[in-house]
Amino acid sequence: MRRRSPALALSLAGLAAAVAFPLLATKVTWQNAAILMLMTAQLGVAWNILGGYAGQVSLGHAAFFGAGAYVSTLLSVKLGVSPWLGMVAGAVAAGGLGVLVGTPCFRLKGHYFAMATIAVGEIVQAVVNGSDALGGAVGFNLPLGETGFWGFVFNRSKLPYYYIALGLLLATVGVNWLVNRSHVGYYLRAIKDEPDAARSLGVSLTRYKMIAMILSAGLTAMGGTLYAQKELFIDPGSTLSTSLSIKIALVAILGGAGTLWGPVLGAVVLTAIEEATRIAFGGTGRGTDLVVYGALLVVIAVFQPSGVMGLFTRRAPRAVPPPEPEARFP
Amino acid sequence: MTVELLLQTLLSGVLFGLVYALVAIGLTLIFGVMDIVNFAHGEFLMFGMYAAFWGFAFWGLDPIVTLPLTTLLLFAVGVAVYRLVIRRITDAPMLSQIFATFGLMIFFRGLAQYLWKPDFRSVDHTIVAGKVAFAGLQFGLPQVVAAAGAVATTAAVWAFLRFTRLGAALEATAADKEAAALMGIDAQKMFALAWGIGAACAGVAGALLATYYPVFPEVGSTFILVAFVLVALGGFGSVVGAFWAGILVGIVEVMGGFLWDPAYKMVLVLSLYLVVVWFRPQGLMGKA
Amino acid sequence: MTSPFRTFAALAALALSLGASAQEEIRIGVLYPLTGAAASTGIELKNAAQLAADLINGTDKSLGLPLAGAGGLPGLKGAKIKLVFADHQGNPQVGATEAERLIAEHKVAALQGAYFSTVTTTASQVAERNGVPFLNADSSSPALTQRGFKWFFRTTPHDELFVQNAFEFLRDLKAKKGFAQPKRIAIFAENTEFGTGAAKLQEKYAKENGFEVVEKVLYPPKGTQLTSEVQKLKASRPDLVMQSSYLGDAILSMKTYKDLGFLPTALLANDAGFNDSEFLKTMGKDGNFVISREVWALDLGAKKPVIARANALLQARHGVNFNGNSARAFTGVFALADAINRAGSTRPEAIQKALQQTNIPGADLIMPWGGIQFDATGQNTKGAGIIVQVQDGKYVTVWPFDLASKDVIWPMPAWDKR
Repeated sequence: MRRRSPALALSLAGLAAAVAFPLLATKVTWQNAAILMLMTAQLGVAWNILGGYAGQVSLGHAAFFGAGAYVSTLLSVKLGVSPWLGMVAGAVAAGGLGVLVGTPCFRLKGHYFAMATIAVGEIVQAVVNGSDALGGAVGFNLPLGETGFWGFVFNRSKLPYYYIALGLLLATVGVNWLVNRSHVGYYLRAIKDEPDAARSLGVSLTRYKMIAMILSAGLTAMGGTLYAQKELFIDPGSTLSTSLSIKIALVAILGGAGTLWGPVLGAVVLTAIEEATRIAFGGTGRGTDLVVYGALLVVIAVFQPSGVMGLFTRRAPRAVPPPEPEARFP
Repeated sequence: MTVELLLQTLLSGVLFGLVYALVAIGLTLIFGVMDIVNFAHGEFLMFGMYAAFWGFAFWGLDPIVTLPLTTLLLFAVGVAVYRLVIRRITDAPMLSQIFATFGLMIFFRGLAQYLWKPDFRSVDHTIVAGKVAFAGLQFGLPQVVAAAGAVATTAAVWAFLRFTRLGAALEATAADKEAAALMGIDAQKMFALAWGIGAACAGVAGALLATYYPVFPEVGSTFILVAFVLVALGGFGSVVGAFWAGILVGIVEVMGGFLWDPAYKMVLVLSLYLVVVWFRPQGLMGKA
Repeated sequence: MTSPFRTFAALAALALSLGASAQEEIRIGVLYPLTGAAASTGIELKNAAQLAADLINGTDKSLGLPLAGAGGLPGLKGAKIKLVFADHQGNPQVGATEAERLIAEHKVAALQGAYFSTVTTTASQVAERNGVPFLNADSSSPALTQRGFKWFFRTTPHDELFVQNAFEFLRDLKAKKGFAQPKRIAIFAENTEFGTGAAKLQEKYAKENGFEVVEKVLYPPKGTQLTSEVQKLKASRPDLVMQSSYLGDAILSMKTYKDLGFLPTALLANDAGFNDSEFLKTMGKDGNFVISREVWALDLGAKKPVIARANALLQARHGVNFNGNSARAFTGVFALADAINRAGSTRPEAIQKALQQTNIPGADLIMPWGGIQFDATGQNTKGAGIIVQVQDGKYVTVWPFDLASKDVIWPMPAWDKR
């Protein structure tokens, strides 16, 4: 307990800062950047359940993200269902999709699994793109008008989106924390670190991986619904692309896969680098923003290979161990 | 007419597949030796294409003539990337290795745009221009030459691994680093060699592609997904596997697009991968 | 959490100081894809827009457009126009973020952009929410002006008009030139929003006009090969191919046509890649005889000298000719400047009202249009399309016949007889 209390104090301070931030930083641009960070962080934390704790590196999470965005949008555009209910429906649909994906793919190891998830993500994108019922390549525009809480569209202020994103992030972190502390998390670590020993002890590998998959997919989908309601426009390119899948994974890896707060930190750093390089250099049209962005990623990977979280774990031991070398693919 | 169309399509698929394979064998070689997936591999290809293009633009030299130079240049680029970046993350978790090569990919794309502008450029005449026609079928000579070059390069890499001492040392490092080190093989040198050869293969592919495909900073992204599929389908680390996977994927992509719907040609290729690993989780020729 | 935030703050502050600007400027935010696959087009658009702004701010009146050489906007005591460029990377979310930043941080009086219809969709939503005028000069998706927006204005005609033009052109060829009407049409389009939308319209109008659509091939863009697609087209033996492709695919498809010896009577392209400045540079003489819809052509300068004069200015500065895209970007800046000037204020409501009352005569444009006047949806009703053909490595106007500088060459000569 002695070790946990400073961590607890730190978490509470961070929470207070996060709640107060948009009230102090009233500039719309700052609030928007902060919302992007929270949304990105939430996706990274959701990915972390499967990719970090269970060690199943998915590069196809855009399929789940898109499932959330599309299900809630279809329900609200075609049937007038509140996007809040759509969010739940999207999470359920994504969980189902996760089971469909996991059933064949969990037999695959390491890179073969990662490639299979890329394949699934690309296939889902191509199918949606070709389907008129799902909006095809054109996608959907959501109506712009302010609707109040139940309708999930807010024009007058950024604050509702900010606090919804923050709430969703905290809920996702909470799920992560619970998983990590429960027997599920214990088995997941066993599966990741010592799969053969775990199997010989009678742990059902597939069952626990599947639990991680369903949670991860469902939470990612909720992020997708939030995206749709914030941008009010979805199409296959922006919600189902492999580059989005890779970005989700990068966030978690940059921060420190398999740690509770790593993905949050990763999102803050990645979004800050992305936005700052684009704002500073994007208008030049010379690609300078990409040069700086890419170089920074390489530098971080070289000097902080276990993720930015490693900067903190070195000073104070964490409840969650940093990823072992065995976290590597076989 | 129909038989000709079918045959033409089939053989076109094989020609494309061979070039895919050439891009992929460099990728799979690096993976085999170091267990690293190089996201920036498409950018090696891009550099190869630009090298060929600039040789043409500045000195009027044909990409085929400058091919040996392009190959050497890319070998140097590969070694440099290894020495400057990859060497430092050899023992890092696999996830951060992905991260590093992904950063390299973005960096190289930005660099190409910074240095050479985002314009599409092409080599507008080459000694391999023209057509090959037989039995009512016709193919662009550049494609035929590229495919032949791909076969020759793959054979050379395979023979190098199989029959030379250096190749054997590389294979030994791939199989077991510690054991290889005990036998006096310098792993660092082998890793650098793998990156050099891997990039050089992409360089050859780039030079050959430049005779018929436009060059632009994002061109690597066009080929990298297919290359990943090939490496996984063939079995990570298997050069021969990537070669056969290339031919298979080329045929499935082109024939599938022709007989079914081009919008779903990559869906077919990716489904092929999923079906193959369902039966063989280690890919066609990978080690279990 | 604090230290990354501080880094971000420092970088953002740096960015702001780089973009800081004086008081007497009128800032217009301009969104284009300045990195990524469409960067070369984005930079062309940026250069053309900047040229327009510099002409308005400068004192050289030789171009002969009303505001050119005015030394700033007379309606605002000679205030200069400053374009603040932002890169949306072809990403709708980035487009929205950048639009918001330009409005909030740079206090832009209006926005212009964004080339890609998808990005225009999200960026103009931000403008609509914030009550800032958004002028779109170059996105052709019909849906953009069907959203009931109050702050969205589009100077370019959209795809429906362009597709109608194509069929009028075919009808005119038969009625006025006595050409044999092609019967079998194949539609070939990339399967994103641009291509699928155009393909749907082409299919609809082809049927209404009594043509037979023998094949409709939608392909995934930016692929490694288009052989399967071209073989499909070849198998359907069309007289006419109607194609919608961006640059890379336009080049790749032409090379594949040649390699596989595919030759319809005519190739009728839907602008985009076929009219990009890089297209002919890359294709050389293999680009000849392609017919494409356009909104601008250099040879129109013979009948409308302002076009030639404007082109000479762009040539002097960047060594390239205008094309349909860059001419529209240029025109967009002039249309915005005209409205802001009449508004006499940078208040958004005043500019919005001025835009609604815009009535620029055709003579004051470098476009072959009847003028600029917006309807209730924000669509310019006086836009028009032309049809060009590549002849001897140049785009020449072949339709409407009264604007044409050359006769259309029909059918395309065989690949080996050129």
